[in-house]
Amino acid sequence: MNIIVCIKQVPDVTEVSWDPETGSLIRKGIPSIINPNDKNAIEAALQLREMNGGEVIVISMGPSQVEEALRETLGMGVDRAIQLTSREFAGSDTWATAYTLGLAVKKIGQYDLIICGKEAIDGMTAQVGPQLAEYLAIPQLTYVMHIEVKDNKVRVKQRLGDLDRLLEAPMPALITVEREAYQPRVAPMDSILEAYGKEIPVWKPEDLSGNMENLGLKGSPTKLRKVYTPKLIKGKVEMLEGGPEDVARQFIGKLKEKYII
Amino acid sequence: MDFNLSPESKMMVKAAKDFCEKEIGPIIDEIIEKDDYPDDLLLSFAKARMLGLNIPKEYGGVGTTNLNTILITEELGKTGSVCAYPMLMNNSTAETIDYWGSEDVKKTFLPPLCDGSAYASTAFTEPGTGSDPRALTTTAVPDGDDFIVNGTKRYITGGNKKGYGVFYLKDEALKGEKGDVTAFIVDKSSEGYTSSAPWSLMGLEGMNCVDVFLNDVRVPGTNILGERGNGFKILLRWIAGERIQQAAYMVGLGQAALDESVKYLGERVVGGKPMGFMQGFQWMLAEMKGRIEACRYLTYRAACLQDEGNAIDVVSSELKVFVIPAIQEVARMALQIHGSYGYSKEYKVERLFRYAAHAGVVASSSEINKTIAGSALLKSRR
Repeated sequence: MNIIVCIKQVPDVTEVSWDPETGSLIRKGIPSIINPNDKNAIEAALQLREMNGGEVIVISMGPSQVEEALRETLGMGVDRAIQLTSREFAGSDTWATAYTLGLAVKKIGQYDLIICGKEAIDGMTAQVGPQLAEYLAIPQLTYVMHIEVKDNKVRVKQRLGDLDRLLEAPMPALITVEREAYQPRVAPMDSILEAYGKEIPVWKPEDLSGNMENLGLKGSPTKLRKVYTPKLIKGKVEMLEGGPEDVARQFIGKLKEKYII
Repeated sequence: MDFNLSPESKMMVKAAKDFCEKEIGPIIDEIIEKDDYPDDLLLSFAKARMLGLNIPKEYGGVGTTNLNTILITEELGKTGSVCAYPMLMNNSTAETIDYWGSEDVKKTFLPPLCDGSAYASTAFTEPGTGSDPRALTTTAVPDGDDFIVNGTKRYITGGNKKGYGVFYLKDEALKGEKGDVTAFIVDKSSEGYTSSAPWSLMGLEGMNCVDVFLNDVRVPGTNILGERGNGFKILLRWIAGERIQQAAYMVGLGQAALDESVKYLGERVVGGKPMGFMQGFQWMLAEMKGRIEACRYLTYRAACLQDEGNAIDVVSSELKVFVIPAIQEVARMALQIHGSYGYSKEYKVERLFRYAAHAGVVASSSEINKTIAGSALLKSRR
């Protein structure tokens, strides 16, 4: 059973700050990490491999330093890692990203599952996984808490708020996993040492048989016009008085008054 | 001279930090409260492949350097707890077996110490000994191909946990000779092997440090490490490595004390400003940082010398002489910065301070190390 995991390297948002003048992200000196949710995807893939055999391949598109993230996934125990790095890929929106990843998946060839994290902590769109499934024309199973594979079918538990659904799809299929599922393992020390002995191929546009017009900023339908921090509107604090039930009623009334609910 | 760590070393440190957050952090309070660690703690270390770090892969180890081993140890030291002891004891005992053991001994005893199915111990100290091998009273008497062991060992870490221990025993057949101490591997499940309840030790809750009673324990002669009568030499080599491990652990502890202090001084507000604005506290932070950095690089250097195959007996003593009081002072300053909160068990610095106290008396006292380091200087003039 072959599983492809798509990961993204993101700035460690716990250490990110904003330039109050320009409203833009101060990236200088901010360490990069594997998008935390993508580590859940890797863990899910590793556990499925341990149960069903096969291979786990990780792909990631990004600047050259994405190699560091890929080494870390090899340290966690994935079999192979492939890096998609080129100036042509820069500035991709979710559509162009999914398109590029899709080309890489087609180049890899045979696979049974693609697993992605639900969303990245920097963009928080949760779009790339579903867009990749659309591009490859395979079933997509999102917000997944648990995965089982049987008789060439994949069965998952999907969490939608308070609701859980059990879904089944033929393989190949794409899954996006939730943060609460598949807590990532500690990278074993021997695996880390081996990770540095493995070669990570770097694929460029010429290695992927796609339309160059669909890559990077050029191929992105979404254009980023401006990033800014909304001005903080300072209001008055109003203390509500009375018993808990009374205060709750007053509070609901206030929210209705402001058309919040 | 390159002070940069390799990418794999950095990733190992990251993995060790991850391990501490996921596996150690959630159980520290429970360990202190129960004065014991969970049975599966050793298996957690094994799963993360943190056992047998410097043991060759063919015996189930990881086969990495001493430098990487102490980098991992430093990270564990940041927990300021005894949680790492099962790992440290397994690694150092396994290294001794790997260095001195026959091929059969290595094949028999190293895999279980690396896969977490056996707890290791090292047993030299007795109720009446300090660092003097002549004072040993626990005896090994030949009986056919075996030896019969009788006596009491004191302060044996993990002596109450199933597995194997390297025991330093008075070899009765060598009585009267200059070297009469032989190192044996003893199965802690052997008939006649019993242990006391753990000693209650300041800052070392959960250490499982016990007295071991050996009553006609039969040990196969094939379990001997190195040459008969060479036991003290084996012990000295082991303890030199222990000092480097201990120094690394203390560096981690000092870093944790500094991190806690920086956090506290940034959060605690006095007169409308965070306390860190006061120059006196800034000076304390600077002194702490300087001490930690000096200790860190001395420790890394000692590990590199070890990796290059140099003798580390004197270097490790010099290291201990400098590092232990320096980090104990860092822990004291952290407690002082926290004021009365630092004295509360609610704050981590209280634990760090108590834990740091043990380092001057465990794995050879600071005083004996001063003697080793000082006498080595005088010998070099002769």
